Amino acid sequence: MIDAKYADVPSGWSWAPRGRVGCQPDVHPPVASASVIRLERVTKLYKTSTRPALDRVSVAVDKGEFVFLIGPSGSGKSTFLRLLLREDVPTRGNIFVSDLNVAKLPRRRVPRLRQRIGCVFQDFRLLPNKTVGGNVAFALEVIGKQSATIKKVVPEVLDLVGLQGKAERMPHELSGGEQQRVAIARAFVNRPLVLLADEPTGNLDPDTSQDIMLLLERINRTGTTVVMATHDHSIVDSMRRRVVELDLGQVVRDESRGVYGVGR
Amino acid sequence: MRSDFVVREVVTGLRRNVTMTVAMVLTTAISLGLVGTGLLAVRTIDRTEQLYSDRVEVQVALTSDVSANDKDCSQPVCAGLKSTLENSPLVESVRFENQEQAYERYKELFAGQSLADLVRPQSLPATLRVRLSDQQAGADAVRQAMAGQVGVRNVIDQRDVVAKLFDFLGGVRNVTFALAMVQAVAALLLISNTVQVSAFTRRTEVGVMRLVGATRWYTQLPFLIEAVVTGVVGALIAVGGLLVGKFLFIDELLSGIVSNGVVPPIEVADIIWVSPILVMIGAGIAAVTGYVTLRLYVRL
Repeated sequence: MIDAKYADVPSGWSWAPRGRVGCQPDVHPPVASASVIRLERVTKLYKTSTRPALDRVSVAVDKGEFVFLIGPSGSGKSTFLRLLLREDVPTRGNIFVSDLNVAKLPRRRVPRLRQRIGCVFQDFRLLPNKTVGGNVAFALEVIGKQSATIKKVVPEVLDLVGLQGKAERMPHELSGGEQQRVAIARAFVNRPLVLLADEPTGNLDPDTSQDIMLLLERINRTGTTVVMATHDHSIVDSMRRRVVELDLGQVVRDESRGVYGVGR
Repeated sequence: MRSDFVVREVVTGLRRNVTMTVAMVLTTAISLGLVGTGLLAVRTIDRTEQLYSDRVEVQVALTSDVSANDKDCSQPVCAGLKSTLENSPLVESVRFENQEQAYERYKELFAGQSLADLVRPQSLPATLRVRLSDQQAGADAVRQAMAGQVGVRNVIDQRDVVAKLFDFLGGVRNVTFALAMVQAVAALLLISNTVQVSAFTRRTEVGVMRLVGATRWYTQLPFLIEAVVTGVVGALIAVGGLLVGKFLFIDELLSGIVSNGVVPPIEVADIIWVSPILVMIGAGIAAVTGYVTLRLYVRL
């Protein structure tokens, strides 16, 4: 069934460095083997819409990169992240995360994919009835880690995100910035290859946002690839990292050390 | 699989949905209690059949003149009938019961009741009590051979009487099973509903579990175990209900016919025999319903 779905992809087609669709200077010569994330002409059509949410998107992200995914609402950022997580499957095209062919991954292997990806959201998504430590430990418990490992790793990661001594607090006792730190700790505690952040600063004031960005940068320095969808101009402009801009489902810009956009 | 994690999730789930859980347990208990009653009825029917297969006789009642004049079946009419019966290969044995003996038995049977005083020995017929070696063919053969013979008043097949008892017990069984089925549908819907509510109240947890890469088993098992626990608790309550029912109602209801040996009593051992069946049915139905619900209605 999956084969039939992708029957319209030419069989001899392989991902080639002919440039990303609609991209400007091709400053990231794609080296397939080093790519942690690779989208090959990915199109996603939703039944309810005639316009594709993603339209022949090809992007490669190398290990250790920090990428901003920008674009107006409805440009396809969320779909991009959902496809990487295999919350949904593309209508056409291939997606690779590390060595996993995400679109063709059998259901039972989806957990393996998700264990390699950490996720952070605008609304934190913490469990209100668990402590800070409990929230972070939960991510390890549910993938069957031993409690000895959990006892060792959780305090370490709380230190890393700057929440030392707050393991026993409840989420509602924390500020927004601290809650987001817990969420980041939870996403990072299993040492994922990739951290996906969907507007992680969307609910935070500029100063707190800056702190969160420093934290994400620190995590990036450990070798974790970070892909962050955002609308925050100032953050993108100040960080000067790779920027992939989507508009109407297409990649309209892909530049290293980019800014949010002139005149935007 | 970390069992402590699963146990904790199950306990949390049950506690969070406590009213729903209680409703589910009670419905399951009533349903399984009825199933248990039906099973006990089946068991009693089997036992009763066994009890009667040794005892059931065909009685050939003799006319009043033969009854009155022949105390030991030595006269030609009775002796002729007796030897005819004894010569049949379908007959195991023939015993003669004269009026006096019949009267003794009658008094014994209706001891303490006014009916016992109304009857005189003369009003009871002497009988040839035929025990059959072939229960099926024998009764008809005896009936055919004896009906209309000189000295024979009528032929009574005790199985006709017993059949009425079996019909009654069979009716009890059918009614309880029918009620159990209706209750079981209610229990199924409740289990399904509870699993859905349980999954909904824990959607944040489940969402996080999916995102961090928990396997399907990890996400689903707590819900399944929750359903199974309620099924098992329901079954145990049903067993308790059967025990209470036995001591409070059934023993008293059946005391008369049990002491006369008409039906065997329902023992605690019978209920113990039924209980693992109920527990297995409860757990099995809950598990299957829970699993199907999770697959069909809940995105995990």
